[in-house]
Amino acid sequence: MNQYTFTSKHRLSLYIAMAVGLLSMIFTWLNDDVYHTRFWTNLLHNSVFFMMIAVMAAFFLTASILAYAGWVSTFKRIWEAYALFMMVGLVLMLLIGLGVYFHWHHLYHWGDEAAVAEDSILTGKSSFLNKNWYFFGTLIFGGAWVFLATKLRNLSLDEDKHGGDSFSQHKSMRFYAAILLPLIGFSSSAMIWQWIMSIDAHWYSTLFAWYSSASAFVAMIALTILMIIFLKSNGYLKDVNENHLHDLGKYLFAISIFWTYLWFSQFMLIWYANIGEETIYFKERYNNYPVLFFLNLAVNFLVPFFILMRNDTKRKFGSLGIVAVVTLLSHWLDYFLMIKPGALITRNEAMLSHGGETHTSVMEGAHTGTAEAAHGAGEAIAHTAEHVSHFVSGFTIPGLLELGTFIGFLGLFFYFTLWTISKASLTPKNDPYLEESLHHHVI
Amino acid sequence: MIQGSNKNIIFGLYNDEEDLLTAVRAAQKNHLEIYDVYSPFPVHGLDPALKLEESRLHQAGFIYGMLGTLTAFLGMTWVFVKDWPNIFGGKPYWSVPAFIPITFEMTVLFSAIGMTVTFYIINGLGPGVKNTYLHDRITDDKFCIAFDTGDVSTGEAEAFFSTTGASEVHSKTI
Repeated sequence: MNQYTFTSKHRLSLYIAMAVGLLSMIFTWLNDDVYHTRFWTNLLHNSVFFMMIAVMAAFFLTASILAYAGWVSTFKRIWEAYALFMMVGLVLMLLIGLGVYFHWHHLYHWGDEAAVAEDSILTGKSSFLNKNWYFFGTLIFGGAWVFLATKLRNLSLDEDKHGGDSFSQHKSMRFYAAILLPLIGFSSSAMIWQWIMSIDAHWYSTLFAWYSSASAFVAMIALTILMIIFLKSNGYLKDVNENHLHDLGKYLFAISIFWTYLWFSQFMLIWYANIGEETIYFKERYNNYPVLFFLNLAVNFLVPFFILMRNDTKRKFGSLGIVAVVTLLSHWLDYFLMIKPGALITRNEAMLSHGGETHTSVMEGAHTGTAEAAHGAGEAIAHTAEHVSHFVSGFTIPGLLELGTFIGFLGLFFYFTLWTISKASLTPKNDPYLEESLHHHVI
Repeated sequence: MIQGSNKNIIFGLYNDEEDLLTAVRAAQKNHLEIYDVYSPFPVHGLDPALKLEESRLHQAGFIYGMLGTLTAFLGMTWVFVKDWPNIFGGKPYWSVPAFIPITFEMTVLFSAIGMTVTFYIINGLGPGVKNTYLHDRITDDKFCIAFDTGDVSTGEAEAFFSTTGASEVHSKTI
């Protein structure tokens, strides 16, 4: 059994997951404020999260090709499929980009021309933070990533059929990987600034792209482990043994620590310098999301660190699978914390400037005071405005609808990747490194 | 290797690590008790073939690391909160984020030095220590299996070495 068959049972459970996601999104849309902030933030949160997982899969796949890494060969079809998910992610991100164009949402403060005109900081940033850069940047860079990832996948499939001793396909894979690796490494940072960091439009951090990439990297490794466990427990991927899992476990362990290092570096420099326009990012999260703020750090560091420190826990389905599930969920939570607080502030400010005529006292508080006052003002509006509901659940903590949306996106991700995996043999039989991967041995 | 234990060792030298692994497996199969195996570099798969237990050195390393964490963290807490409280940059006395980098460094330092010293003590190494060794070339290009003649008779050992293809057989009292 070298080729995965997408059974109707697997399809059905993924259809159910996607239906749960769709229903959650419809419910979110119906019970939302006038700007449908909760709906759009959930869409952005999950689209960016899974897009970045696909980006990191492409990144790691190309890095492996260029580093002459042999151990990945037996399961590299999973990464090829994950990288191809960039197609779906690209469509979703373009949808959000169109939303910026046509003002379907108020996710980005810089998307509001009136606000930019009277705000010198946003005016200064407007050469990068504008709708054209957002939409066409996504289209051009994302399109290039998808093109090159498809190219790599097609070469890999061609190698299965016509691969020979000349390894011509592998040589051209190296060529395309050498283009894709630096391209995706650098341009994904720029897109992260656009997609995520610009939600807090006045704030910036030079570590942010590193930090959110590391987060997605951990989630990508966790999903790879879960996919291997799923395929193996269905009788596929017999060539992948505990030695491959051990190395993936090492990556899960190492990149989790790397993520913690970046999280802390970003935090400590801002904490130490104590400059108001920088600390605002952490102040908002520390004051209004204290449980999630510390839970995120504690779970994402302590769980992989202490569980995966030993050799044997990296080699077993049970312990590795549990850590993979926990880190996947809590890095999703990490993205939640990157996106929701800033989007909530933007929403409140938009409400104050567009719909706050009857709340003059509230407006004064927001214009003269700090972001905290604006936050309080938004809260006041939330209580008075008829359309605003679910203020807490869905913003300060993920509610059931957020979980439903996540399940839907997870279903979509697995549906797409399993469908892609089912198109070709799981073993790349003419891969020059296959023999090395089959005999991979780490202890 | 403990000095002056007056053991009569008979040992064979192999030219290749694959021959060594095959020979070790053959010795295990024939229930010949191996005194020790020497090689110029770590041979992959040798530990499981010799049925060696996993080293506990890393567990010691974890404990040293935790000691370093506590030393640094509690030390800084004592200095900056109790012994010599000072305000730096408007931060509180107990500024945990500022302690983290030093705590991390001390964890690494303690576990590295602790593990090195432990490793040297366990193996009887260290500056000024003189160890006997079986043969010059086991630190260069030869792979050696040694038997204690108390466990394995000289005849058995010689027969074993000739069937498994050892290039040289010597004996030595250590």
